[in-house]
Order: sequence, then C-alpha cells, then structure tokens
Amino acid sequence: MTADATTLARRLGRATASSRIGPPILILAAVLGSWEVAVAVLDIPLWLLPPPSRVFARLVTLDTLWFHTSITLLEAASGFAVSAILGIALAAGIVHSRFLENGVFPYIIVSNAIPIIAIIPLLTIWFGFGITPKIMIVAIITFFPIVTNTTRGLKSADPRILEFMRSINARRRTVFFKVQLPSALPYIFAGFKIAGSLSLVGAVVGEFYGSDRGLGYLVITSATQLRTDLLFVAIFMLAAIGVSLFLLFARLERWVVRGDPGLEGGP
Amino acid sequence: MTASPTTQMRHDPPAATGDGRAASHIRLDGVSMTFDGAGSGAGSGAGGPVVALEHVDLTVAEGEFVALLGPTGCGKSTLLRLVADLIHPSAGAVTVGGAPAARARQANRFGFVFQEPALLPWRTALDNVHLPLEVVDYPDQPPRQRCLDLLESVGLARFADHYPHQLSGGMKQRVAIVRALAWNPPILLMDEPFSALDELTKAQLQDDLLALWTRERKTILFVTHNIAEAVYLADRVVVMSPHPGRIKQILPVALPRPREPAMRETMEFLAMVREARETLGR
Repeated sequence: MTADATTLARRLGRATASSRIGPPILILAAVLGSWEVAVAVLDIPLWLLPPPSRVFARLVTLDTLWFHTSITLLEAASGFAVSAILGIALAAGIVHSRFLENGVFPYIIVSNAIPIIAIIPLLTIWFGFGITPKIMIVAIITFFPIVTNTTRGLKSADPRILEFMRSINARRRTVFFKVQLPSALPYIFAGFKIAGSLSLVGAVVGEFYGSDRGLGYLVITSATQLRTDLLFVAIFMLAAIGVSLFLLFARLERWVVRGDPGLEGGP
Repeated sequence: MTASPTTQMRHDPPAATGDGRAASHIRLDGVSMTFDGAGSGAGSGAGGPVVALEHVDLTVAEGEFVALLGPTGCGKSTLLRLVADLIHPSAGAVTVGGAPAARARQANRFGFVFQEPALLPWRTALDNVHLPLEVVDYPDQPPRQRCLDLLESVGLARFADHYPHQLSGGMKQRVAIVRALAWNPPILLMDEPFSALDELTKAQLQDDLLALWTRERKTILFVTHNIAEAVYLADRVVVMSPHPGRIKQILPVALPRPREPAMRETMEFLAMVREARETLGR
C-alpha cells in the first residue's frame, strides 16, 4: 500500500519534473527568437543590443572567458569557505554562551548594516589589488546569512531531546554533534543558498574596484568600451554560476539531510 | 518494644532519616521549586517568581509504579524534572538510592519519556533507539542487537528502518519508550507519555507498559492528568493541586494485579476512579 503510494508519487514527481522543464525552455526560445528578429528588423546597433547569436559566438570564441570565470569562482569559493567555517563556529559559540550571544550579535547586525561597497576602498588600501580583498569582501557579505541561519538552526533542536540527552548525562560535544548540528542542517543550507548568490555579488563588486581580472573586471571594461556583446557574455556566465551554485546546494542538502518529510527516503 | 521515637515526630513522616526503609528509592524531602526571579527569597514581589512546587515530601519504593495526577500547573512535570536532576530545587533535597539525584543522573539511572515522541527525524527507528547507547555503556549485548530486540518487544521489528515521519503516533511513542529503555535504566520517568494518543492506542500502550513493568520491575514515576489512567496503572496515585503545586493526598490503589482491560469495568475500579476524582476536585 505504502509502496504503491510511493511509486505513484515518484511517477507524479517525474511527470511534473518534465512539465517543469518544458515551459521555461519554450519561453526562453521565444524570447531569444524575438530578440534576434527584433534586432535585425529594427536595425538596432550592436553596442546598444547585440543579437543572441552574436553573444553566443562571443561566448564560444572568447578564450580569456575561462580565466576570468575561474578567478571570480576562486574568490567567491574562498570567501564563502572562510565565512562558512567562521560563521558556523561563531554560531556554535553563540548557542553555548549567553555572553557571546549578547556581546557579539549587535556587531553582526552592524556588519550587515554597513553597505559593503563602502568598505571596499578601505580593504583595497589595506590589502592591495590582488584577490585577497575580494575574498574578504565575499566573506563579509556572506557572513550574516550564514551566522544567523546557523544560530537559528542550532537553537531549533527539540528541547525535549536536549532534556533527554541531559538526563543520560551526555557531554556537550556529543549533544552538539548528534543533535544540534544535524537539527541545524536545513537552516544552514538555507543560509548557504542565500550566501551562494551573495558571494558572486561580493566577488564581482570587488572586481569593479581596482582589478585586472575576473568577471567583474570583464563587466566593467566591456561596459566602458561599449562592447555590449562581451558584457552579455559576462552576465550570462554569472547567471550560470549562480544557478549552478543554487542547484549544488539543493543537491547537497538532499544528500545530507535524510529522513525529513517531503524527501524520498533514498533509493 | 520501646516506642520508636520517630513515630512521635509531629506530622512529618519522612523527617526521620529512613534507615528502616532501605528500599526507598526516590525520595523528596521538603522540596520547593520557584521559577523566575533571581531566587534570593524575595517571594513577596508582586508578579515576580512563580512557585511551581511547595514543600513536597514523597517517597517512591524500588519497583513501585507511582502516578502523579493533577491539573495543568500543579507542578507534576516539574517534580519529574527535579527527580531527573534536569532542574534543581529551590529548597529541600531529592535523593535517589540515598544519594543526590545528580549522582543518579550521572550513573544513567533514568529513562525519560515525554508527551511527544521527540525522536530525531533524520534517524530511523532503530537509530533513534541507538542514540542513548552512543552515550551510555551497555555491555550486556551488542548495541544493534539490543535495539532490534527492543523494537521487537513492542512489535516494531519490521519498522526498524523506517523514519519517524513514516510511523504512526503510537509507533513513534513506542520507539520513544524503548529508547528510554535501551541501556536498561532502573527508573522510568514518564511525562504524560500517552496523552497525545487516541483512545485505542492509549489503552494498548498502557497494557504494554504494565507488561513491561511486570517483566522488568522498574521503578516508574508516571505523570498524567487522566484519572482512569493513573488508577489503572499505578500502585499509588499522588494527587496534586495547583498554585502552588502541592501534594493533596496519596491514594493507594488496592486493585489486584496483573491488571487487564476487563478490570476497567469493575465496580472496584470505578469506585477508585471516583475516589481519585473527588480527591482531585476537593
């Protein structure tokens, strides 16, 4: 009975999966098609709006594209990693120490309130034009969602299970790794998804200000030179990375967070 | 021959250090519990601290089944948590086997069961039962086998690999109960464990619990607001009253054991339930 329901659900899921992919592809094709036609018919100049075919040709032939992309990815990933490690560690400290919670939380909020763009020149003065300040920008901009979500997640642990663990004299470490951290995983992944797109914002904005590489640099230089096709290539690349990151975290979450309602219980 | 001096001590039965009753297992001496307000005895502050329990004396013998019965706010859950050393009394002392409750907690003598199953959603039934064995040593049997045996004992062997969300409420509560039994603790503390279940499941689990208690002779402290449940299960029913939480009266339940479902319709049972209800309402 249950097995039947499961297979049915799976089949339905598959059906909706294909019907989920179909419509957006159709819409994309329609938009690109009319864009292409409109540019040709209305004779729009290349610097104002290049046709998709031109952007695609640029995308394929631009040999520096992967270099710029890898720089931006490196900055985003490094900053994200720093932020994830520090953020989760700080959140663990916050749930274990009221002093830390009260003492640190106002400053986490302040750090989020300062517009990141205002800090970039300062970081450039201190750390130069290399990738270090970009990594720091990414770390700062992604820190807030990671800390707040992880803290909320760690606090979401069922108080009765915490009582149970205390009643059997479990050590804090054990409680943290067996109860609190697993409870927090869905929240941590929610934070990661937000932080993932923010990490791209941070890297690109960092590259706007004093840089000779990266997709942000590509955006700025192609815009100032009115090479709009290049600009579109950079935007396309950033969108692709952003979507990939989101899908990656969703997949990772599915793999790590088991047994929750709404998820199939594995194979 | 000479009259024991302890019997002459006013109306305070547990006042004497009970050497005569070595079997007395759990013991509360003049226990009070006041929440909120930084303590320091400032009880007169308006809207300040809440007195959850006031001067509670209670002795539970080894292997005894005692029900704590009372309305919401009578401090029965607080009492259970005091025994488990999850909270500390504002006044008085809780001892288990003659030692402070903290010692008993550190020795893993308590199995705690809550109103909700409170299972870990990312663990299967088996892994949930396994959780305490990752903390407490249980040398008698390999942990996996122990968990399987326990699940088997409550008819859930087939569901060992199911996640909580795939189990019914009654099944989840069974898992929670055997989780509290995994390392075979001598004392079971149960906080309204059946109150969220439907009538049929509840009756079934009550009988299962009685069978388990008969088999293993654990000391059970069972919190409930269900009068019939308290009478059906317990050797003694501790009737409590709220604001502040106090023990109103302790009713011995003189019904024969083993108790079976048919007993619920007998005159003796119904009379006992009525007595408990009247005590509660008085």
